[in-house]
Order: sequence, then structure tokens, then C-alpha cells
Amino acid sequence: MAGADFTVEKYRRRQRMWDAVESRYVVHLVLFAAVFFTISPLVWQLITSFKTSQGVLALTYLPLDPTIAAYERALIDRGFWRAVVNSVIIASVSTAIVMVLGTPAGYVFSRFRFPFDNAVFVFVLFTRLFPPIGLVTPYYRIMTTFGLLNTKTGIVIANVYLWLPLVIYIMRNFFITIPQSLDEAARVDGCTKIQAFWHVVFPVVLPGFAAGTILTFLYSWREFLFAFTVSTDLTSMTIPVATFLFVGDAGIDWAAMAAASIVSVIPSALVVVFFQRYIVVGMTGGMKG
Amino acid sequence: MATEEFEGEVGPHGGGLTGTISDWVNDHIRTVLLGPSLVALFLVFIYPAVMLLWLSLQNTRGFGETFEPAYNYGRIFGDPTFWNAVENTLVYSFGSLVVSVGAGLIVALALNKLVNQRLRDAYSTLILISWAVPLSIVGVTWQWMFNGELGVVNKVLIDLGVLDAGYSWLSNSVSAMIVVILADSWSRIPFATIVLLAGLQSIPQDMYDAAKTDGATTWQTFRHVTLPYLRPSFFVAGLITWMFAFRAFAIPFSTTGGGPGGATETLAIYIHRFGIQLLDYGFASAVSVFLVAVTLLVATGYVYFILARMQEIEV
Repeated sequence: MAGADFTVEKYRRRQRMWDAVESRYVVHLVLFAAVFFTISPLVWQLITSFKTSQGVLALTYLPLDPTIAAYERALIDRGFWRAVVNSVIIASVSTAIVMVLGTPAGYVFSRFRFPFDNAVFVFVLFTRLFPPIGLVTPYYRIMTTFGLLNTKTGIVIANVYLWLPLVIYIMRNFFITIPQSLDEAARVDGCTKIQAFWHVVFPVVLPGFAAGTILTFLYSWREFLFAFTVSTDLTSMTIPVATFLFVGDAGIDWAAMAAASIVSVIPSALVVVFFQRYIVVGMTGGMKG
Repeated sequence: MATEEFEGEVGPHGGGLTGTISDWVNDHIRTVLLGPSLVALFLVFIYPAVMLLWLSLQNTRGFGETFEPAYNYGRIFGDPTFWNAVENTLVYSFGSLVVSVGAGLIVALALNKLVNQRLRDAYSTLILISWAVPLSIVGVTWQWMFNGELGVVNKVLIDLGVLDAGYSWLSNSVSAMIVVILADSWSRIPFATIVLLAGLQSIPQDMYDAAKTDGATTWQTFRHVTLPYLRPSFFVAGLITWMFAFRAFAIPFSTTGGGPGGATETLAIYIHRFGIQLLDYGFASAVSVFLVAVTLLVATGYVYFILARMQEIEV
């Protein structure tokens, strides 16, 4: 009897400990810590971007005399505004091409059987798993041969390679969730196959299409490896490359570098804030079998 | 019954040219919808990939190219900095895997405890922001924070009395590696969190109710209900994190440039050094083939063995 009481007592004590671990306070503490870890590097960039060069050297937590001079130096003096324009153009065009090509392809993989269909789909997955760094050297060669170095076209082509397989895969997974009976009903009502796809199934998959678009845009926006390899001047350079090149200077203008970073983070941060749900759906939708 | 659909030879749009085109599209729907993507993938993937194999068989040192199939592959394993890069890549990728998935699990468990959907969305948005930051900017940001003279990390540590004087984090090989792993994890934790949270939310509530009725402690519930159900999400988050960290270029390159003295030079930086900076295409291609082979072997093996076993678990 005494033994049993002891066990119950031990169980209760353990459970109390776990209740404490699981309490609201601990949950919020963990989440505050996570948010602090996420946000503080960006806050430090934000603070630095409002400092003067002397303020950077003085190493204070807050800017002594806040100024937007660093933004002026970065955007105008260094021509960084051109990188902003390039990034917007490259990310938009890449996203448009990838979505227009990838959405119908994903539909086909979700609906039709055809010779070697599995092999073709595995090829698409293989393209996605293939490490992009492996293709950097050939791309550099090809771009040199075709005169595409330092052009926006070169970076768009690289983006198509990087994100088209991903979009095909994500869109296929979204189309699979829509019952095939919908297409069949449309066919019975007299739609051609393409009309069934475009007027009946596509509208239903719009949230998935939005998720794919947002994800592709963000990925193209933040792409560094190919943009860095293919472009070295301001006619085609994207923001991630331009910001990185600030650091290569002998005397780094840290305030201007921070300003450039903030400029590049703002659009993606806004996308995350407004489209959080879609991004989560896209991230997890890209993984379903 | 509608008879329009069965008008014999004539297509759904009637006769004429548009009808013929529309019929052709209808009969070749797969080609029309999938064809453009396959052509595009052929041009942007197959062509460079074949070129990669071809280049790896060329001696491109010095002027011109000569076909010497064994030359570059023979050089790989004799180069001491190659083994250094392999070791760094393993430390880097597994370090990032452990930190990202570990922290991701803790954050996902905490998020899953929140009942209020709005609060949960607010937290996830804030945590997701680091994922959206371009990787090269992650690098310059962490380089700036850990700067020896002007870095905020030294400033905080000195003000807290932990350090007496500034420490140059990025000049020491061990601390430089820790900083790049942290920077890498910083941008990967959101992904691991989202995947694991999705896994947590797919666990049926009945399982928890049953565990409670049986008098299981929180730990037992976690150990025998949560973890087994979470296993598929762990495998997905782990494989993807590892695979992307294994090929990582932007973060180590923009944080340390591979330094000090090659201490954070990953295979991707190594390939970039030979292929783009030294213009030794052949050798860079051969190393690329090695990296691609390792990644694909691991990924395929993982998918086959683990996913096959996972199906047994789920049944």
C-alpha cells in the first residue's frame, strides 16, 4: 500500500513539474526568445542604418543623431536604386514565366497517365534535388558564350531552372487535392479539356496558385548564387548581390550596408506579413506526396 | 440528353479552322500543357548538366581544353584543401541540421500550445521573417554583428561583463564555424518550425485524450504519442535542411568568405573558387559531379530506406 502511495506521489510531483514546463508563461517565454533571436539581427541593421559614420565608430546602442544619410549614400551615390529596379523586374518576370509554364505541367501530372509518366515526374523531382552549385560553372560558360553575362535575361534563365521544378511539384500537389470528378463534370457539360482546366479547375486551385506565386517571387528575390555568378555590374545586379558587394570594399561603409540590407528585406518582410498563410501552405504543400 | 457533344466528326466548336485547332489541342492536351515545361527544363537543365559532365573530362588548366578524362578526377582526392572542404561541409551541414531542427521542434511545440489562432499567426509571422531575408544579407548581417571591433555581440558581452575586450569571432576557426552555423540555422529554423508544426497539428486529438485516460504523464505522452507521429515530419525537415546546408554557398561565403584560412570553406565555396575565380572549369566541374553524386545518393537512400520503414510505422 505504501509503495503505491509513493508512486502516486512521485507521479504527481512529475506531473506538476511538467505542468510548469507546459504553462503559458514558459510557452510565451520560448516564443519571445525565438522572436528575439529572429528579429534582433534585423533591428541592429535598422539601428545602424540610421547612424552617421561617426556614430558607427562610437558603437552606441541607439543612433546619437539619427539620419537617413546612409540611405542616400547607398541608394543614390552608390547607384543601389538600380539594383532595386533590377530585382523587381527579374523577380516578376521569373515568377510569371515559371508559373505560366509550371501550373499546366502540374495539372498534367495530377490528372493524366501517359507513357513514362512516372519517369518524367521523377526527372522533375531530380532536377529539384540536383544541387544548383553543380551547374554554376556550366552556366557561367554558357552565359559567356551567348553573351548573357551581366544581363537580366541570364538571371531570369537561372531562376527558371531553379524554381520551375519546384512549382510543377507544388502545383501538382494542389491539383491532386481537387477531385477529378470536377473535370469530368465540366467535360459532360460540353467543355473541351483545356476549357475544363482553365475555366473550372484552375479557379478552384487559385489559393494554391497564389502560394506558388508568392513563394517563387520570394525565392527569386533572394537568389544569390546565380545572380552573383552571372552579373557583376549595376545594369543587371540584384539587391542581394549589390548588398554583398558593399562588404568587399576596403573601408566598409557599415551604415550604408545596413541601409541597403533594410531596403532589400522590406519587400520580403511585407510579403511575409501579408501572405503568411499562403507561405505556410506553400512550404508544407511542397512536401505532400 | 445533350446531343451537341456527339456531333460526329465535327469538334465541340463546330467546323472551320478554330474548330480544327481546338480539336488538335483537345487531342494533344498533355503535350500542350506539359510540353513547354519539358522543353524549358531541357534547355535550362539538361544542356548545362551534360556540359558539366563534358567539362569534368577536360583539362582546362592553362590555355584551351584538352580531353583528358581522368585528369580532374585524379586531382580531386590529392588536393588537401578538398578534404578540408569536405570536413567543413559535414560539420556545417550537420551543425545546421541539429540546431535548426532542434530549435524548430521547441518553437513548434510552443506554437502548438497556443490556443488563440491570431496569436499563433502573429508569432509565426515574426519567426518567418528570417526565412525571407536574402541569404547574402543574412551573411553580411551576421558578419556585422560579430565584427571584432564594431560588432554588437562584443558590445553586449562587454557591457554584461562576460568579456573584457572585444573578441574577433571571425578570425578564429572554431568560433567562425559556430557563427556561420548559427547564421545558417537562423535562416532555416522557420522552415523546420513550419514543417514540424504541420506534423504536430496532424496528430489526432483522440490519441491525447486516450493517453490522458490511461494516466500517462506529459513526458510519456510526448514520448509515445507525439514523437512517433512526428517522425515523418522529422525526416522531411531533416533531409531538406541537411541537403540545403550541404550545398550552402551564400551564407558562409558572405559571412566569412570561407576564412579564416579556409576554416569555413564549404564544398560550394571550393567549387566557386576553382570554377569562377580561378577559371579552372574542368576541375570545378569534377568536384561538382562529386557533390551532386553524394547529395543524390544520400537523398535517394534516405527516401527509399526511411520512407519504406515509415510506412510500416504508420500502418
